[in-house]
Amino acid sequence: MNALRRRSLDLLWPVLAIVVALGLWQLLTASGFFRPDQFPTMSATMVAFTDEFTSAKGWLSVWATLQGWFLGLLIASVLALVIGSALAFNSFAFRSAASVIELFKAIPAIAILPLVTLVLGSTLDMKVFLVAFGIFWPLIIQVIYGVRSMDPTVLDTAKALGVHGARRFLVVTIPSAAPYVATGLRIASASALILAVVAEMIAGADGIGRQILMAQNGGMTSYPRMYAYILMSGALGLTLTGAFFLIERKAMHWHESQRNITSNEEKPAR
Amino acid sequence: MSDTIARVPQQIEPNTEQILTRTTPRRRASAGALLRELVVSLWLPVVLFALWWFVSSTSTSPFFPPLSRILEQWWSEFIIGDSVHHVFSSLQNFALGYVLGALIGIIGGTLLWRYRFLRQGTNPIVYFLYVLPAPALLPAMIALFGIGQTRQVALIAFGAVWPTLLNTLDGMRGIDQVKFDTAKAMRLGPTRTLFSLVFRGASPQIAAGLRASLQVALILMVVTEMVAAKEGIGYFILQAQIVFSSVKVWAGIIMLVIIGTLLNYLFVFIEHRVLSWYYRSRALGNS
Repeated sequence: MNALRRRSLDLLWPVLAIVVALGLWQLLTASGFFRPDQFPTMSATMVAFTDEFTSAKGWLSVWATLQGWFLGLLIASVLALVIGSALAFNSFAFRSAASVIELFKAIPAIAILPLVTLVLGSTLDMKVFLVAFGIFWPLIIQVIYGVRSMDPTVLDTAKALGVHGARRFLVVTIPSAAPYVATGLRIASASALILAVVAEMIAGADGIGRQILMAQNGGMTSYPRMYAYILMSGALGLTLTGAFFLIERKAMHWHESQRNITSNEEKPAR
Repeated sequence: MSDTIARVPQQIEPNTEQILTRTTPRRRASAGALLRELVVSLWLPVVLFALWWFVSSTSTSPFFPPLSRILEQWWSEFIIGDSVHHVFSSLQNFALGYVLGALIGIIGGTLLWRYRFLRQGTNPIVYFLYVLPAPALLPAMIALFGIGQTRQVALIAFGAVWPTLLNTLDGMRGIDQVKFDTAKAMRLGPTRTLFSLVFRGASPQIAAGLRASLQVALILMVVTEMVAAKEGIGYFILQAQIVFSSVKVWAGIIMLVIIGTLLNYLFVFIEHRVLSWYYRSRALGNS
């Protein structure tokens, strides 16, 4: 009984918080604390949100953003997985490449956006390239880390059993590195969304980012629409991160790093 | 279950240096070994640089000019030229925004750790703001603060808050309960407990959060300069693109690479100084 009550209280708090936040938004804007040319009212934003996302127009922008996000993520993760595990197996190769990887990782990917726009134009290709370039470097570090942290006993066992070549890569290497790769992918997914939105906002490729900027250029009357798209980008981030999080939990339940988390919720994951 | 705000494990994002120290226990290296290590880590960048230099030297492509011309342009713009003010403007916005965001993140994280109702109440909102792609707020910031420097600093600070905040909270929640009991038994006051136990215990993870915030702040620094700005490296690069001057675009990118690399090294340098006790204890535990 007590546990049940605490559970429902746990659920009540967040709901209450959201209601209070929305109410505060409405209060501050309707009372004139924020002028309408600074911040639209909550109700107007909600109306704009329903307008945009009950027609195909809003969803087409979401789709355009998701395309760039997905293709960039796919290309970067395949490349990082293949090159990363190749580098990780050879200490010399890894040590040689480390400085180059650190150098490229330090570049804010946005820096190359104007150059990529010059070469590829305001296209989907441009968006995909920018996303893939931006997330490849952190991802490959994560892959190398995962492969190198493999238990040597596991590798020796595989060798003794005569498992080698592509089979060893698929059956031993990838599963061992999987938790690190999964974490890397979840972080990469968030960065990929940011980069896709930026590519749309600055280079003008189709998608949510361009809609936000266009609404801002449209002046005060279209501000509710701007916030509707901002809310949508947040919802997209929430969905994607949440999905990766769930997949990570479900798919990695056998790995010791996840076993520790589920058996001892309060301990940090390290 | 609703109390899972802290499970955003950026802390397992390593860097190459950590991989190296993890696999090779650090011994007092001889001069020869040090030299060999230096050669191994530097030969590839040098080779790539030389390759770029020679392959591009005869290039007539409008997008990939010879490296010699890029470096000449970079030199004349940023070293002897008057584009240096773009660099200073960028760095100023970055420093103000990053420091502000980091402070808010650490203080906010501490408050969320201390007060359970605050943590539960703000959980969904904090999480939403954390996953919201920060550049999407840029037009909104223009509407709120105008097109001046304020909105640039505000957006950088906004983006920098969340990784630091969540990692601070997570680090503090990971501190062993026994340590609190010890502090109580030793009759440490709340202020001393906070400074000598809570902040110190969570500092490795706060550092991890600050590192993630640094990356976000760098990206936002460039993005804010590319929309409705009149100054900064991002503005410089975008202007060069608009007039189709690819040499200038490349020069700006080179400048950004230098800034990004230096800031990262500076961060790692300070981190190692401040957390030297932590790295020493971990190295002992590993060997």
